[in-house]
Amino acid sequence: MIPHIMVQAVLQQSVSGFYTDLVTRPTGRAVRENIERELAPGTVAVMDFTGVGCLDYSCADEIVAKLVRDKVKVLLLRGLTEAHREAIQPVLAGAGLAVLCERDGVLEGLGASEPAPALLDELVERRLAARNPGGSIRFTAA
Amino acid sequence: MTRLVEVPTQFDDRSFDQFAAAYAQATDGERLLFDAHAAEWASPYGLVGLLAAGEAAARRGERPLLTAPANPDVVSYWARAGFFREAGDLFEVHGKVPRTKPAVESDVLLPVTPVRAAEDVHAVVSTIQQRASAILSSELGLDPKATMGFAMALSESCQNIVEHAGTGGWVAVQAYNWRRKLARRVVVIAVADAGVGFRHSLEPTQAKRFGERWGDAAALEAALIQGTSRFRDPGRGQGLAGIRRYLARWEGKVAIRSGTARIAIVPRWDDDLPLKDGLPAFPGSQVLLIIPEQESGGGSSKQ
Repeated sequence: MIPHIMVQAVLQQSVSGFYTDLVTRPTGRAVRENIERELAPGTVAVMDFTGVGCLDYSCADEIVAKLVRDKVKVLLLRGLTEAHREAIQPVLAGAGLAVLCERDGVLEGLGASEPAPALLDELVERRLAARNPGGSIRFTAA
Repeated sequence: MTRLVEVPTQFDDRSFDQFAAAYAQATDGERLLFDAHAAEWASPYGLVGLLAAGEAAARRGERPLLTAPANPDVVSYWARAGFFREAGDLFEVHGKVPRTKPAVESDVLLPVTPVRAAEDVHAVVSTIQQRASAILSSELGLDPKATMGFAMALSESCQNIVEHAGTGGWVAVQAYNWRRKLARRVVVIAVADAGVGFRHSLEPTQAKRFGERWGDAAALEAALIQGTSRFRDPGRGQGLAGIRRYLARWEGKVAIRSGTARIAIVPRWDDDLPLKDGLPAFPGSQVLLIIPEQESGGGSSKQ
């Protein structure tokens, strides 16, 4: 079964006080460490950002980039706003990393362009995603 | 002995060097009297810079003195901007200071607010999203989605204090008509601390690379232009790069003063110098972000 991480809920567990924003390195570190405890190395995971307000570059790096770099094989992001994408895209691209995200039911890469096709292939091989007639790929596992 | 440090009548980033020059003449052990009695106006940059000077002066000797502005309108504005709430802890304040609470509904989007830890940054980001959204979209003509980018830029600016200064600092955000320079509305973020500054922070990892060129100007260049950080972690240095991207998109300006240098990313509407070196020494770092009303955005400029 694919781990499904509700980021907003993890944020509430990780910091004292009610915050909806993912900002600052210490907050990002605390959230990532909580997520890492639930993940086996080399896994495929889904992270849902629904309910998260502001995501700054530091948290994008501390959570998303570090999970991709050190922990997961494929990371699929859901519930992203345009502002979330704007924080995550340059952070991943600068590090040569990529994640997948769902937009209108279709999977696409976010971050560096080179690793994305391999991530999509990985999901198809694991039968977690399937190709649509037009060539696009949809997530089928959840 | 008490040394007088005059606060410029128009106190903003342009007159800050004049203030820093007076501050730099002080020697250890001297008590400083910051004289703002003739002040007519201060930008958020001036207010947070004055607090940084007060903190640095207190570290060097006796608790500094501050003469509040004599003009009732000016002193009232400083109070509404949250300045005296913070100044009371740093200075022995002289003059009539109104007991006004910091503004909750005005062009003061964020009163002078201390930043010491990550929790403070959370509070600042949360407050600014509630208060800045309307002004950014309706008055500055920014896409409503830009509010989040604004909060990100603010967060990263404040984090420089938490991560690098080695001490606390202050942030203030204000909207106003910038008639003199731009004849447009602007939103200004000012962040200041009296900490170690960029050169000291980056020295262990960057000084060797720059060799004889190493100094405050080189450190600012390394941080803002090259995106380097004191941390060897590969993901570091994202904050200032993100701020640059955001400001480039909205034709904004960023300027950072640290030690004896000042660096700026200068938009086409401004004539500031990209890099100044050999300025009067001033402790810590002072960051200025300006986002102007968009020319084609249909903002409702108030006069």
